[in-house]
Amino acid sequence: MSDAKVQVRQLTKGFGELLVLDNLTFDVRPGEFLCVVGPTGCGKTTLLNLLSSWWTPTQGEICIDGRAMDPKTQNLSFVFQESSAFPWLTVEQNVQFGMKEKRFPPELIAQRTREVMGLLDLESVKEKYCHEISASAEQRVVIGRSFALHPDFLLMDEPYAQLDIKFRLHLEDAILALNRSTGSTCLFVTHNIEEAVYLAQRCIVLSNKPTSIKAVRTIDLPYPRDTCSPEFIAIKDEITEMIKWW
Amino acid sequence: MNGFSERAAPRRLLRLLPLLSLLAFLSVWHLAALCTDLLATPLDTAKALAGMLFFPTSKVTLLHHVWASLCRVLAAYALAIAAGVLLGVLFGWSRRFHDYCYPIFELLRPIPPIAWIPLIIMWLGIGEPSKIAVCFIGSVVPILVNTYFGVSRLDPTYLKSAKILGAGQRALLTHVILPGALPSILTGMKVALSSGWVCVIAAEMIAARKGLGYLIIRSMESGDMVHILVAMILIGSVNFLFSWLFSKLEGVVCPW
Ligand SMILES: Nc1ncnc2c1ncn2[C@@H]1O[C@H](COP(=O)(O)OP(=O)(O)OP(=O)(O)O)[C@@H](O)[C@H]1O
Ligand SMILES: [Mg+2]
Repeated sequence: MSDAKVQVRQLTKGFGELLVLDNLTFDVRPGEFLCVVGPTGCGKTTLLNLLSSWWTPTQGEICIDGRAMDPKTQNLSFVFQESSAFPWLTVEQNVQFGMKEKRFPPELIAQRTREVMGLLDLESVKEKYCHEISASAEQRVVIGRSFALHPDFLLMDEPYAQLDIKFRLHLEDAILALNRSTGSTCLFVTHNIEEAVYLAQRCIVLSNKPTSIKAVRTIDLPYPRDTCSPEFIAIKDEITEMIKWW
Repeated sequence: MNGFSERAAPRRLLRLLPLLSLLAFLSVWHLAALCTDLLATPLDTAKALAGMLFFPTSKVTLLHHVWASLCRVLAAYALAIAAGVLLGVLFGWSRRFHDYCYPIFELLRPIPPIAWIPLIIMWLGIGEPSKIAVCFIGSVVPILVNTYFGVSRLDPTYLKSAKILGAGQRALLTHVILPGALPSILTGMKVALSSGWVCVIAAEMIAARKGLGYLIIRSMESGDMVHILVAMILIGSVNFLFSWLFSKLEGVVCPW
């Protein structure tokens, strides 16, 4: 257990009377791609808000690298459910925002920008403002902006919720490529089970409210995964059953 | 542009439309002037305008009058931008400052700037400062209100993202809040400029030695129709010029 990147222990969060997260305990391993699936409204966004220490838990604790979570010293990043690309910056400036705020040296900024823009296929629109590009490109900008920092721990909250299904597969490949090239530990929240099975090395399945962990499913299919293969469909159905079974 | 008007008339004709309406306006004006003594013809007005460009009216030439008003407006405008943006950001940024000071502002806001003139003259006399102060009151309100709106309606996700991406308090202000609120601020500045002109004319009508408002009042006292018209036309034109410049500027500083 000591080799875990992130340790979550007995995490509980309630809003007044309403108990949303009930006693969650899990680990995230270094460099891992972990997905969290759960029904709508079960508290997935709440979980991420706790993990990013935006909110404080009612009970329990979160450690990164064995130390209590502190966003000032730990390099973590967050892609929100709603789009958050800054409309007043161009695509390229958006991708560089975090690196400039953190005062990365110019050569590093240039190199990371190239890397990220290439992987996310944004080169052709780098001078454009966000209202001039598609919703999928805008979301890629936000994802790129986070990956460019090579965060230790990257939280993604259904970054494709608003996107067309046909863009998703392409983006998912891009995210996996970024995960591998940056070595960032990723926690990806979704309510789309197919997406989770396509991406994750492990998948945490949440129950309905009050939310607890129903199962942790290891998915050891090789990448890139074939969404039509029998193994893939079997895992997908298994997780779907777990969520439906409630 | 909507497709409808594009299809209804060829492009070139559309470009002539403003000219056409101007022509129609001048014709109606001319016809009206022919029927009554209470209005000078456009031609007489134009002649007077040309004359006033070179020969002093009330001691100075026309451009001097324009310049005098302009200086007052712009001085007040600069002060209003500084104060309005500062207070607007504070109102939007700090809940406590907002709760503490906004009621007072709400109380003062509906008072028309012109209603301040008597008080201001008692406080500042009838020199330049009092005219600038009146314009300032007229300009600062729209800037403040629009800045506040822009800041308070900024999507909190932007602030949250910027913080997580490493922005400190100052960066949050200069890299997120100000650019995020800029479209709103510019709207406020546009309104403020016209409102500044309204105020300077009013202030000059009460106490001044030069300026377009003064020109109107002087001409009225001497029953000088063409000069009144010239001053009115200039007020309209200068404002028009400023709106035009402003929309150009908007495209440059706020291209998104
Ligand atoms: N600030 C808050 N105050 C009170 N209750 C809240 C707050 N935020 C969330 N909740 C409650 O917590 C529950 C979980 O919300 P959350 O947004 O985390 O769900 P979610 O799994 O992200 O949903 P979705 O799939 O729609 O994104 C909801 O029932 C919501 O009503
Ligand atoms: Mg959510």
